[in-house]
Amino acid sequence: MTTKLDLTRRALIGSTAAAIAMPSIARAQNPAEVKVGLIVPMSGLYARPSSVMRMGAEIGIDDINAAGGIKSLGGAKLKLVLIDCGDTVEKAKNAAQRMVAQETDLVAATGAYLSSFTLAVTEVTERAKLPVLTLSYSDLITDRGYKYIFQTAATASSQSEQGLPELMKLAESASGKKPKTVAIVMDNTATSVATAKALKEKLFPQLGLQLVVDEVWTPPLSDATPLIQKVRAARPDLLFAMPNAVSDAKLLVEKMNEFGLGQGRIPTISFSITIAEPDVLQSVKPEVLQGVMTVVANWGFKGHETLIAEVKKRYNEPWATQNVISTYGDMWLMAAALEKAGKADKDAVAEALRTMDGGPAKFYPGGQLKFDDKGRRVGAGVTIVQWQNGTPVTVFPKEIAVAEPFWPKRG
Amino acid sequence: MTALKKTLPIVLFALAYAVIAMLVTNSYYQLMLTLVLVWAIFGLSWNVLSGYTGLVSFGHAAFFGIGAYTTVLGQIHFGLTPWITIPIAAVLGGIAGLMVGFPTFRLRGHYFALAMLAYPLALLYVFEWLGYQELTIPMRRDAPLAFMQFEDPRAYTMIALAMLIGTVLITRMIEQSRFGRALLAIKQNEAAAEAAGIDTLRWKLRAITVSGAIAGMVGAFYTVVLLVVTPPSVFGMLVSAQALTVTMFGGIGTVWGPVIGAVILIPISEILHAELGAKIPGIQGVIFGLAIVAVILLAPEGLYWRLRDAWRGRKRDSSPVPPADVLADGEPRGTQDGFASSEPGLRPAPQDERAGSGRDVSRETILSVQGISKTFGGLKAVQNVSFDVKKGEILGIIGPNGAGKTTLFNLLNGFLAPDEGKVMLDGRDMIGKRPHALCAAGVGRTFQVMRPFLRMSVEENVLTGAFVHAATDAEALRRAKEAVATVGLADVADRLGGELTTKQLRLMELARALAGQPRILLLDETLAGLGHGEVGDVLAVIRKLAATGITIMIIEHTMGAMVQLVDRFVVLDHGMVLVEGEPHSVTKDPRVIEAYLGKKWSTHADA
Repeated sequence: MTTKLDLTRRALIGSTAAAIAMPSIARAQNPAEVKVGLIVPMSGLYARPSSVMRMGAEIGIDDINAAGGIKSLGGAKLKLVLIDCGDTVEKAKNAAQRMVAQETDLVAATGAYLSSFTLAVTEVTERAKLPVLTLSYSDLITDRGYKYIFQTAATASSQSEQGLPELMKLAESASGKKPKTVAIVMDNTATSVATAKALKEKLFPQLGLQLVVDEVWTPPLSDATPLIQKVRAARPDLLFAMPNAVSDAKLLVEKMNEFGLGQGRIPTISFSITIAEPDVLQSVKPEVLQGVMTVVANWGFKGHETLIAEVKKRYNEPWATQNVISTYGDMWLMAAALEKAGKADKDAVAEALRTMDGGPAKFYPGGQLKFDDKGRRVGAGVTIVQWQNGTPVTVFPKEIAVAEPFWPKRG
Repeated sequence: MTALKKTLPIVLFALAYAVIAMLVTNSYYQLMLTLVLVWAIFGLSWNVLSGYTGLVSFGHAAFFGIGAYTTVLGQIHFGLTPWITIPIAAVLGGIAGLMVGFPTFRLRGHYFALAMLAYPLALLYVFEWLGYQELTIPMRRDAPLAFMQFEDPRAYTMIALAMLIGTVLITRMIEQSRFGRALLAIKQNEAAAEAAGIDTLRWKLRAITVSGAIAGMVGAFYTVVLLVVTPPSVFGMLVSAQALTVTMFGGIGTVWGPVIGAVILIPISEILHAELGAKIPGIQGVIFGLAIVAVILLAPEGLYWRLRDAWRGRKRDSSPVPPADVLADGEPRGTQDGFASSEPGLRPAPQDERAGSGRDVSRETILSVQGISKTFGGLKAVQNVSFDVKKGEILGIIGPNGAGKTTLFNLLNGFLAPDEGKVMLDGRDMIGKRPHALCAAGVGRTFQVMRPFLRMSVEENVLTGAFVHAATDAEALRRAKEAVATVGLADVADRLGGELTTKQLRLMELARALAGQPRILLLDETLAGLGHGEVGDVLAVIRKLAATGITIMIIEHTMGAMVQLVDRFVVLDHGMVLVEGEPHSVTKDPRVIEAYLGKKWSTHADA
């Protein structure tokens, strides 16, 4: 009973607070502060990537404010509201409900790392008419016909469609011959399954690739030996390794090295940022990773030098992953939408995002700051990242690459 | 009147909850109010099976997830509204329960719990393999009401509340009826329950079906609230654990347990998450975990029982009669009678107390044991044993430890099937019948190790045995009352099982067997553990039963007490019948003395 009474009391306080807050909304002509949200899993299994997203958001807010805030709102400053969406779908849904019920003056938000969480969060925000930006890939997020979701990353299916032909070109130009056989070792998470489906059903036949090994595991991987043995026996021209847990990634590359397949003996390509996370280096030597490539929605690229330096200085992060860059970019995108909307109102911001035509994107690869009817960023591209001398660097697309790709020589 | 008294708290709770829910306008708090009910219902579902039968299920997420996917797939592929798919989910959950229960009930204890764990985990992978990693319920802006997509979140709380009330009423009905009694009896001692005439497998299957149906229903509704379904969010280990947590925290085996657990735990967990999650990520889990550990340590069976015991204790303390006096049954110990019965060897019991007198022992054979044998590996526990039991007689089965007495009883009431031989009851072969069937045929029994239902009153304890021949619950209650009166426990009929003395417990066991109206009663060491004065009281009750025409077979070590009671002895040694006959001759038989005391004494007796 106490809990329930407590709940009502809290509810009353909440509504009183909202009532007090009313006048400030009324003088929205010149607000001192405009709140934007970051709703990510700060606790649990996905805490690490989320903390990186937070870095990007914090630097972004500081940079925007330092540059004079939102000019069309009289130089109003942005303020970040951080919401932990936990490590389950239910917690994400609860957190989103809390966000829209308690943080009523939010004008936009970004989140929620894992696509399952983003799906749950945006079910709530869609009904509350709060615009949400996301770096999640899942096609489903923008297949629901929702009006308040804006996907800045290329969708999972689009990523493999864009990335694989580029990889093939790269292989052909570097080694002089076209790859013919391919092996897949992957976990069974939603992202991997969606990517593999696109590869197997569409891309392999198109590109004339023959699948010689197809192995799936449920994370966490306990022993990579049988997987790598099969790969060694088949000796494919390409290996698609798709882990989504850092520990699985470590096991795979170490085992490959142990079997003499590492360092590019079999060119290895991934489709997530896991294999390029700084954590991987904690137990794997940089030489082992040399040449490993991954196709990702975003990465630190040409023009991000000051941001990358700032991330290193403030948070001691060795390089900037998709999570930093995209979230930093999201802050600028929200600021641009606020400038355009001219008022600190979530519906106006949503409308500004829908009608925005902001030219070439600076913090997302390819395309423009413009969204189609589904809420997908027009022309959203991918980056190909390669481990070179202990750092994963962007090697594709050429315009934004910071290093030349090399195709590992088969021994 | 009692029905009203018992329903009143539910009605008050529902009204209070509804009023609070109507007052809350904040959509987040409203969501919490809905989820509290969802997890309370899921806890109740778990409780129906595991709380009452004691068979712990770690796999209730299987039914929950089936319900969840029924709703989401129903709407995606067939355009079905949750109004239709929620009842369908309940049916599918029930069917799943039956399918899971049938093979899994072969296992007991930890093995059952672990086997149950496998079902949701397997289903999780199946649904991932099917490509259902992430599904969302399509938004129906055109017909929100028809698809349970309400603008006002209070509607969800009201639906959940209706489902909770329904579930509570179903649980209450189960609890109050023979269904619930059967499950409780299974929880205490499945063997004893079988012996009391309960078809344990059938009741367990019914329980898991009801439980699965409720879980399927609430899983389906959960999806409507959450809108997104992923295999881990409905089949995950945490989902099964949630049912256990709320129930164990609130109280196992009671309607209120899961409700209390959910009302306290769900908001606390969420408040911790909201207040601390973004500040010290992860600390909420630590605090929540510690809180649960603390409560489980302080109240192992849950808050409800702890509070109820405290409440009962206070009421008792303030009552005028100190409980110690009542517990001692108001009878002074060490009476003349008690002295006499405790030392029967010294003073021959008066002739009129002899069992044989004043009763008709018919010529007619009620039970005929014909050459039965049972071996366990190399041990011949019972070998070629034959004897007849006459209608109305008291037959004593004696023999030294390990002579095969209890094994013989287990063969007679169907716990064990003999390797050879026949057991004829009224001329019909009873071999291969399950214990509950034998009980229905008139074979009742008590156990060497008593298994009273500690939290049930004497009358309720006895009631579990009364359903065998009772057509209605009322009739069973009447028979239970009669049995309690017959054994002389009418004064303490409302006392809890846990508060009784050994003698009262023995009498209660006797009454429980008696309530099933047996024609033949197997008593396994009914006098064991009784004090000197108490043996005589129990013997008096047994005589009284015999006087009503019930045939009695009794196992005892203590010859002294038996000599006064029985009409005839069958002496077993090394699984074989050593001697059969009148008490007078048997006690003097050198073979018997040798079996009990060794060769030295038998020669001594001869001399």
